[in-house]
Amino acid sequence: MKVSNRQCIRHLAWKSLQASRTRNLIAIMAIALTAVLFTSLFTIALSINEGLQQSNFRQVGGFSHGGFKDLTEQQFEELKDDPLIDQWGKRRFLGMPVDVSFNKSHVEISYADANEAHWMYCDPVEGRLPKEGTREAATDTRVLELLGVEPELGAEFTVTFEVDGQETTQSFTLCGWWEYDEAIVANHILIPESRVDEILSECGVDPNASADGMTGTWNMDVMLKSGSRHIEKDLDQILADHGFQNERQGDDYIDTGVNWGYTGTRLSENVDPMAVAAIAVVALLIIFTGYLIIYNVFQISVAGDIRFYGLLKTIGTTPRQLRQIIRFQALTLSAVGIPIGLMIGWLIGGQLTPVIVKQLNGVETVTSVSPWIFVIAALFALFTVRISCRKPGRMAARVSPVEAARYTEGSSAKIHGRARKARKVSPFTMAWANLGRSRGKTAVTVLSLSLAVVLLTVTVNVVGGFDMDKYVSSFTASDFIVASAEKFQNSAADFSEDMSVPQSAIDHINAQGGITDSGLVYGQTSPMLEYISEDWFRQLNSHFYTPEQLDNLIRLTDRNEAGNLAASAQLSGMSAFALDHLTVLEGDLSALYEPDSRGIAAVYSEDDYGDADMDSHWARLGDTVTIRYVEESQYYDPDTGQVWASLDDIPNGANWVERPTKYRDVDYKVTALVIVPSALSYRYYGNDEFILNDQTFVEDTGTDSIMYYAFDTTEEANGDMETFLADYTENVDPTLDYESKATYAGEFESMRSMFLLLGGVLSFIVGLVGVLNFFNAILTGIIARRRELAVLKAVGMTGRQLRAMLMWEGLLYALGAAGLALILALVLGPVAFRAVEGLFWFFTYRLNLTPFLLVVPLFALLGAGIPILTSRVSEKYTVVERLRME
Amino acid sequence: MTILETKELKKYYGKDDTMVKALDGVDLTVEDGEFVAIVGTSGSGKSTLLHMLGGLDRPTSGTVIVDGKDIFSLKDEALTIFRRRKIGFVFQSYNLVPVLTVRENIVLPIQLDGGKVDEDYVSQVVSALGLEKKLNSLPSQLSGGQQQRVAIARALAAKPAILLADEPTGNLDSRTSQDVLSLMKVTGRKFAQTMVMITHNEEIAQLSDRIVRIEDGRIAMR
Repeated sequence: MKVSNRQCIRHLAWKSLQASRTRNLIAIMAIALTAVLFTSLFTIALSINEGLQQSNFRQVGGFSHGGFKDLTEQQFEELKDDPLIDQWGKRRFLGMPVDVSFNKSHVEISYADANEAHWMYCDPVEGRLPKEGTREAATDTRVLELLGVEPELGAEFTVTFEVDGQETTQSFTLCGWWEYDEAIVANHILIPESRVDEILSECGVDPNASADGMTGTWNMDVMLKSGSRHIEKDLDQILADHGFQNERQGDDYIDTGVNWGYTGTRLSENVDPMAVAAIAVVALLIIFTGYLIIYNVFQISVAGDIRFYGLLKTIGTTPRQLRQIIRFQALTLSAVGIPIGLMIGWLIGGQLTPVIVKQLNGVETVTSVSPWIFVIAALFALFTVRISCRKPGRMAARVSPVEAARYTEGSSAKIHGRARKARKVSPFTMAWANLGRSRGKTAVTVLSLSLAVVLLTVTVNVVGGFDMDKYVSSFTASDFIVASAEKFQNSAADFSEDMSVPQSAIDHINAQGGITDSGLVYGQTSPMLEYISEDWFRQLNSHFYTPEQLDNLIRLTDRNEAGNLAASAQLSGMSAFALDHLTVLEGDLSALYEPDSRGIAAVYSEDDYGDADMDSHWARLGDTVTIRYVEESQYYDPDTGQVWASLDDIPNGANWVERPTKYRDVDYKVTALVIVPSALSYRYYGNDEFILNDQTFVEDTGTDSIMYYAFDTTEEANGDMETFLADYTENVDPTLDYESKATYAGEFESMRSMFLLLGGVLSFIVGLVGVLNFFNAILTGIIARRRELAVLKAVGMTGRQLRAMLMWEGLLYALGAAGLALILALVLGPVAFRAVEGLFWFFTYRLNLTPFLLVVPLFALLGAGIPILTSRVSEKYTVVERLRME
Repeated sequence: MTILETKELKKYYGKDDTMVKALDGVDLTVEDGEFVAIVGTSGSGKSTLLHMLGGLDRPTSGTVIVDGKDIFSLKDEALTIFRRRKIGFVFQSYNLVPVLTVRENIVLPIQLDGGKVDEDYVSQVVSALGLEKKLNSLPSQLSGGQQQRVAIARALAAKPAILLADEPTGNLDSRTSQDVLSLMKVTGRKFAQTMVMITHNEEIAQLSDRIVRIEDGRIAMR
């Protein structure tokens, strides 16, 4: 049956809407609040996410989704037109400067096309990118400073750099520069591709077959059509589509890289179901809070209008039409409320946040104000309104017209159980009875209030949980660590004698005073071997070789009498102070503290979250480790048995095995399994690692190259030491560099203040929503029950008693909400913590109930205060007038 | 021609000990154009009977046939539509929509039905009930008698098969009651309207064509 009664329904809905202004105001407020909640939530959440991403991108050095590394020209041409790729950028690495002035900076000379340059943050603020066929180059202000060149277009400069192992000196003309960003690890000198090829041929390097497999090769970074959702999968797919793979070494092998800066990719790759579930729970909680806020108001107002709906029913309004009326009203109210909410949300999220964040130094201001936020927030709010008015709609539709005429809220609920004993009637007992009258409504009100408190508490706790010690300690072990600049700068380079920290530098530092404790870490500079089982050998190397290559490698590896395979061991010697910073997994270190002891600690690896990987080493407590200190070796062909005395004698293409001829074997007993803080470790891995006492190390290896000098200073001496080291490593011995706790602490502080601020704004909004919602709930309750209250007055309740009753009701709500919130906060806090911990490893959950304690009295105050205020207003009318209202 | 018929109509409230038999097997027929008054004391079940006749409430058992249709065989939505087309109500408490004007109230059922308002007919009803000058007033600006006349106009405007009146004069003083009732009777005649009225007032009941007495949920023998 299709009848055109829309007009009439709208008219009716509109008219009845106009009749209840106060209620409308409250409903609009509720809707606006929900929209504010969603908008600011989305804005802030996205801003945090984007801020994180941005700082990750800067660490990574670019924001392309991912890329294919070290391609030949042919591979490059083949891959670049893959349909999954939206945009590609080309980069060809040429070399790195060798001048001393560059040894604390990571500078790369390369060609990058416009896309690539933009993705690497190489956007000239002055000038432009180099033109093909010229001698132009563009770089950043830091590199210019290192070169001693004034940033002036047309300036000439020369750089000496290494191209696939060959040094060359070239001159360039500056055609553009951009500002140096200290968060970006690598600095670039960009030159035209034509010049790259020119220099390559000058140095005799074939870009399709360079010795290091990297110089001159074609690198392609891409933006994917599908965005950042499944970068790794797409890259694999692209490779597969062209018959390549990135798992095993081989002819069809192409290395790929995923930009881990995209938090989304990190999440989807490293799916911790707990973390995902926790995020879902928190998100649902927020939606549910919004839902309850609106639902509550509609529910109460429909209950108040129930007579009206009954009346409409008696004269022939169908249930569907009633639902239409309620929906129309809800939509009309949304049409007003949502824009207001979006506006306020925008003011808070989009305008206020950057203003506050700007007050802080060093915090990356990223505000995400995508129009999508508003669209989504609006849809969200609208959706919430729709589902919120569904149940009240059904309720109105179901009401029997006969019942409706006599309707008073909650009276249809049957009272179960035996008849109550007559009690003394007091405002309190009446308030209690009123709450019990419609338990559903009471429960919803209490729940919606407590959710806001819970959200507030959880937000504050999460923000307060960022743990500086956890963060800093993962980067640095002691207050200061001094090492060769090259050690810090180029973690891939093997430690060597010339990277040793000279004793003179240590003496200078010690002369500064204020050092409370200090220690040395000796690094290995001479060859040493251990003999390991074939199984373990395969496991160690499986990441780097194909099975076939591995078989060949084993064939070309020396075996001892027991048939075990030779493998390089990685040893370091630590003095007591350094040993103090190790994490002992099993056993104890006491043996290592004794000079000349033959106790040894086996080094295990851990992930960012501090979980040890027990498969990362073969040695267990009590095992004996035999280290073979090699003094001389010879080389032989396993097939022919021919022997060479030195590497230089081996003809090209021959197979050879290295065999120690002069060596010392020393047995050690494993007394501890440990984890080394990365600051004090080699910072590269691949071989089995062991730690010895420092004296034992020097004695047994016969070398004493100091890899790190680590020390703590007194609080007061900290600043002076920082200044001293900065000056010393800059002017006295520029080959040295240092890391300090303060550097990382500063980095952490700026990150934490961003979270604290945005989280603070978020908490404030959530708290405000909670309070306003409470205000709404109480007020709606009173307005909807105006008639009932008038009846109570008519039968002799004094204004004072009435107010007392309402006050008690408010207080009971507040109390109930507080109790529930406390329970929920205790339960949900750890869940939210899981979610955050899944994203940020430097997080420690500490329960903080301050926000809770702040909001509850406010609720109590409102609960008691609103009834008093509103009943004063309604007392302007006589009882008779009030009875006749509606 | 029979326009309204009930068969073995029963309505029980509650269970076991506390069961109340509000209607206990009512058989009633009303002919086209008749003006029937149902009288009974408070609690006799007369209001329940009227709710059943109008399809406002469902019986425990039995049928109600209006204009040849068993109304309780209809689903809620369809029943409501049937009701607003075939049955007009006049309540003791008027039940006017407070936010609509007199005119809007009168045509509301027609508009709810999506139908076209028969302007001629409506203005005839309006003038018969003497409401011409009040068309743009709100219900709250009218006296009780005027409000009830609006309710009658609303009931008539949709040209229902039957008009059901539940103590239409219960809220009015005796003078106004007389006015309203005579108007009802006159307009009923004029528009050939079948009417069933409930009252506890014998005097008022006398104005009808036929009086049906109801006691303890049953029709009392005359």
